[in-house]
Amino acid sequence: MMRKLFVVPLLTLALAALPALALAKAELVIATDAPPKSMNPHAYSSDANLSYMSNFFDGLLQRKAPEGALVPALATSWERVDDLTWKFDLREGVKFHNGNDFTSADVKFTFERMKDPKYSKLLNIANSIASIETPDDYTVIFTTVKPVPWFAETMHQNFIVDAESSADRDDGDYNTMPIGTGAYKLDEWVKGSYVRLIANPDYWEGAPTYQVVDMRPITEESTRFAALAGKQVDIVNGVPVNLYERVKAMDHVEVISQPARRAIYMDISNMADTPFADLRVRQAIAMAINEEEIIEKVMSGQATLAHQIPDPPTIGYDASIKRLDYDPEKAKQLLAEAGYPDGFPITIAGPNDRYVNDEKICEAVAKYLAKIGLDVTLDVKPKSIFFDELADKKHRFYLIGWFDGSFDFGRSAEKLLHTPDDAKGMGVYNGAVFSDAGIDEAIIASSSIIDRAEREAALQAINRQSVADVAWIPLHYQQDLFAVVKDKDITFMPRSDRWVVVKEIK
Amino acid sequence: MATYLIRRLLQGIIVLLAVSMVCFVMFRYTGDPVLMLAGKYATQEEREQVRVAYGLDRPVYVQYLSFLGGAVQGDFGKSYVSQISALRMILERFPATFELALVAISISFVLGVGLGVVVSIKPRGWLSRIIMAGSLFGISIPTFLIGILLVMAFSVYLGLMPSFGRGDTVQIGFWRTGLLTASGWYHIILPALTLSGYQLAVLIRLTRAGMRETLSEEYIKTAWAKGLAPHTVVLKHALRNVMIPIVTITGLSFGELIAFSIVTETIFQWPGMGNLLLTSIFETDHPVVVTYIMLAAFIILTINILVDVLYAFLNPRIRFD
Repeated sequence: MMRKLFVVPLLTLALAALPALALAKAELVIATDAPPKSMNPHAYSSDANLSYMSNFFDGLLQRKAPEGALVPALATSWERVDDLTWKFDLREGVKFHNGNDFTSADVKFTFERMKDPKYSKLLNIANSIASIETPDDYTVIFTTVKPVPWFAETMHQNFIVDAESSADRDDGDYNTMPIGTGAYKLDEWVKGSYVRLIANPDYWEGAPTYQVVDMRPITEESTRFAALAGKQVDIVNGVPVNLYERVKAMDHVEVISQPARRAIYMDISNMADTPFADLRVRQAIAMAINEEEIIEKVMSGQATLAHQIPDPPTIGYDASIKRLDYDPEKAKQLLAEAGYPDGFPITIAGPNDRYVNDEKICEAVAKYLAKIGLDVTLDVKPKSIFFDELADKKHRFYLIGWFDGSFDFGRSAEKLLHTPDDAKGMGVYNGAVFSDAGIDEAIIASSSIIDRAEREAALQAINRQSVADVAWIPLHYQQDLFAVVKDKDITFMPRSDRWVVVKEIK
Repeated sequence: MATYLIRRLLQGIIVLLAVSMVCFVMFRYTGDPVLMLAGKYATQEEREQVRVAYGLDRPVYVQYLSFLGGAVQGDFGKSYVSQISALRMILERFPATFELALVAISISFVLGVGLGVVVSIKPRGWLSRIIMAGSLFGISIPTFLIGILLVMAFSVYLGLMPSFGRGDTVQIGFWRTGLLTASGWYHIILPALTLSGYQLAVLIRLTRAGMRETLSEEYIKTAWAKGLAPHTVVLKHALRNVMIPIVTITGLSFGELIAFSIVTETIFQWPGMGNLLLTSIFETDHPVVVTYIMLAAFIILTINILVDVLYAFLNPRIRFD
């Protein structure tokens, strides 16, 4: 009797639940390697989060696959009026998901909110703005504190929120329910499971192809692989590099492999009173590393040799730059000339949970350096501790990766190459402390050049000098792998920033 | 009894305090959350601005006291990353973990006791030998390996089972359940089997040991001599007396399964608390980590106290004086 009493309500519940199950199934299931953190578009600056946001929100500008060309979005045109002034003309007739009109007031509100560390991790660009003027509903004029030549280049990732509804929304709601102008609306976010997107039929660029789309974060590499093998997903963003051959062998899947934007490099110091102060020592270290072997053995071929830090679409990339060739004999000779015929103690630092095979690359570098007679200590650790030490400028020689969301080497150079100077906000990631007055001057000077071609030439010169001076030793660009199920007739062009912008999938 | 309970509760509170203190001390060595919070392009000055905004510029003991002050009122702080209440984030994930642990513990209990009885009746039979050898594997193979092997076999090669996720779920009030849909059950089998592996093996061995001891007692011989049916002797007279340690172990491991299903949840991308914990550790999201650990400690403490109290009901000879 007791048992029956229990079964009846359970059955009723199950029946009541049935209509809920009849809901629309997703037409497209996309697996990604990271979950969204928040639905506040400024809450997290990682590309993994921005990728989700790009579906719910628009920036003033947007970038198109695959190279990332900057094209209009919520702004129809833009102009750098002078050193400090940027003018954007806004698109008319755009509506937010809640029906509100998009105007210049929303843009002003967005950038002011982005200055508040409680709401925003995009402080850097927001704090560079001195004032925002809105002469009419569809014009915005930004004045920056100092020249920021890449100001417009970041406008694809500063997503515009609705001023009216955002101002007085509860924080919990603001962080879980996006209200943007994007091609998709959020239907349901079951944390840890999936984010379900529903097409926005009134999208200003035209309604997207797929009506209901699931984005499923699967953080564990082997699980992502199993999901693909078990045909549970249609597109995988982030096929594990170590399983490349196995995924390629699957009949029902097409694998797309393309160089990633992120360059992996060894950062090196030139601090006085260290062996690194001598250019010949830095050259010797660069020559000792057999990067082609690292790509072949450590990366299983899934990496592209890097001659410099920026990637080809970045302003400041210079195709003529060549890295130093692998030459251990010459390296030994240079060391001897520099006064270290018996080597010297060197510590190789790096993270072990940040980049593809980061620890193994450090180990390989250690072996190469030992071969030219250096006394090597390996010091790899979890990224949360490593980056702490980096901020404290503890290491003189370490492995790190970088790509610049703004596609601008000028910003990279300020962060990575300029002598560390907290007051000026320079050299935050120059943890090895490489310092060269000439390079510093050139970096500062380049930011005031308004003509784009002229500025590109200046950045290329900085880039060339940095490699010639061995301010860093470029290793390789990581490889991005994507998989698409064949028989569903999906047209998917991966982006170099790895964002999954669903409206681009046909 | 009442004094005993009060003493246990006081002990529990002290343990929780100690746990939270250990967390705060540990956080000093697990990386600076400000680096992540300020974003990739932040300058040192902006990092300091963030440090102040999140109150991380205060001395550790002040941060700790303000955490305790909030915790007493049920406010464990907001996740650094998502700015959502840490407790809410974790409780949102609780149903998934609870259901997984419940199914896993049911599998361990039913199969463990059942096979344990089978083994104890015919200890030298070939079936018993296979079961006992299998239980050795269950104890010695780590969970993640069992999980990966199951996925390889049933999802990748045979294509029979889904490899990740919860399947279709139904929201009932605050509780999102996967146990009311066919797809939900389909998805829970592999992770529950993985999670149950170790406890299953322990329960088989425990049941077998207890049964073999009991079956050789005088009163069992009497029961046989009386001509009672075999199932009455084995299940009613013998098994009942073996149940006390089994129930204890099952109860205690249930708490552990809820609190430490991290590995299984990661392999199967199960949207539970363990999965959240791992991501949060990775992101130095301290409020979520400390809340999770406090909650885990709370669950285990509660279950321990409950099991101790249940003891008295199961075995009237036990008294708390």
